[in-house]
Amino acid sequence: MMAAERNTVSCYLDEKTFRLCCQLFLQHSETIQDGWSWEQIKGTDEGFMKKTLLIPVKSSILNKQHECSIQDENMETDDIQANVEDETAGVQAVCEIHAVLRYEYHVLYSFSYQIPVLYFRASTLDGRPLSLEEVWSNVHLNYRQRLQQGPWDTLTQQEHPLLGQPFFMLHPCRTEEFMKPALDLAQAENKRVNYIVTWLSVVGPVVRLDVPLSYSTEVSAPD
Amino acid sequence: MADDKDVLRDVWFGRIPACFTLSPEETTEREAEPYYLLLPRVSYLTLVTDKVKKHFLRVMKAEDSTEMWFEYEGTPLKWHYPIGVLFDLHASNTALPWNVTVHFKNFPEHDLLHCTSNSVIEAHFMSCIKEADALKHKGQVINDMQKKDHKQLWMGLQNDKFDQFWAMNRKLMEYPTDEGGFRYIPFRMYQTMGERPFIQKLFRPVSPEGHTLTLGDLLKELFPAAICAEEHSCDLVATLPRPGTGSQTAGRNSDQAQRVEYGASIDEPKRFQVMIHGIEPLLETPIQWLSEHLSHPDNFLHISIIPAPSD
Repeated sequence: MMAAERNTVSCYLDEKTFRLCCQLFLQHSETIQDGWSWEQIKGTDEGFMKKTLLIPVKSSILNKQHECSIQDENMETDDIQANVEDETAGVQAVCEIHAVLRYEYHVLYSFSYQIPVLYFRASTLDGRPLSLEEVWSNVHLNYRQRLQQGPWDTLTQQEHPLLGQPFFMLHPCRTEEFMKPALDLAQAENKRVNYIVTWLSVVGPVVRLDVPLSYSTEVSAPD
Repeated sequence: MADDKDVLRDVWFGRIPACFTLSPEETTEREAEPYYLLLPRVSYLTLVTDKVKKHFLRVMKAEDSTEMWFEYEGTPLKWHYPIGVLFDLHASNTALPWNVTVHFKNFPEHDLLHCTSNSVIEAHFMSCIKEADALKHKGQVINDMQKKDHKQLWMGLQNDKFDQFWAMNRKLMEYPTDEGGFRYIPFRMYQTMGERPFIQKLFRPVSPEGHTLTLGDLLKELFPAAICAEEHSCDLVATLPRPGTGSQTAGRNSDQAQRVEYGASIDEPKRFQVMIHGIEPLLETPIQWLSEHLSHPDNFLHISIIPAPSD
């Protein structure tokens, strides 16, 4: 291969590098108690990263027909602070009823696309799975527009390839579009990035998953 | 290659006679008669059962009609798998017609994907085609097609139009003349035991030494139990001459002979059937040929591994 062709870094990730990046990611998660774990598939060397979050949301996001169960939940969540970001509706916000949702995130490797993929599922505390519409309405307004325009094509319900259960998935088709600039920049600065940290920092927040800044500074690329 | 084109037609027009019965759990105003239908193997349950829905909704109250779902002997049927795969996996060794139970309540949220409209099926179908092309051609062929070409693939499936579909699909079946086949073969192997829904791995149709790899080679690597009961006996194959290179085995085309060529012991009973579109292809069949001719319209080779009947 000519030297000139080495200008751009591959946006693709082989499985071994995926696992190494995850290992380093998990080490940092352990350090800052960020809640990620590795789930191994019995009898194989395959696995995925997993994290569960409890997220408070405005109950208006959930379908009207489930209002009753929300009322019950709120009896247990009285101590959750109202969202006071919106100052003009400050008084309303304090009185607003909140619910708590359980989000479970899985980071898997896709052999077909040779990139990581984010799967997640969401449910109420009493175990009712959220519909696609409800999950959509829980995506922050700022991201909703971006989500519809790409570079990740769409949010759909999919069968989890290792567990066989319904999950939501951010479609991986255009990961290259946003990874490429990040990887090129890193190469230009002679830095090597941890693919998983970079990738998850971009896709995670869209679906309410935050990746603390310390990951970017503390987690190294695999050798 | 006239014979090969016939195979494409036979695959496309494969049908399964089914009998749909309403679950006794459903509340009806009158008794519900079963509904009989010939199901296309290559299509999807929710795409071809509008008539089934209408038939049963006639005897039910409007407010009871939420999303329809299907079940066979207690197992919810995944609409996003091709019909033929579901049948081969769950009911191939039982008497026809395939008796499927219809439900409208208690949607099994933890087992089935929702299917609220045909556009969900279309999105799923196109996503499979894209993934298959990512494996075969790094996505280059599908990405070079226009939106209307993608639409033609879907409409061909939806309206059961073989020629319309294949006019476009043939492009997805091409490969560079200097290569022996696709980059990787898009396939999924299903079995009913275990938590894992399917096995899908990277597999090249040609070995590094340039040998054409076969169905038997695929199984040996990913599901050796389909060939031999004892895993170690499969490893011995490394020292045996490759199939088709002069090895003399009596009754060469018999099941036993095939499996022996891939490492089974001579008198080992067959534990599994390896089924594609309701047939058991010879293990010596090149995997590239299977991918080009026995794939589903979604461009995946769906392989069902089921327990061999003990008759």
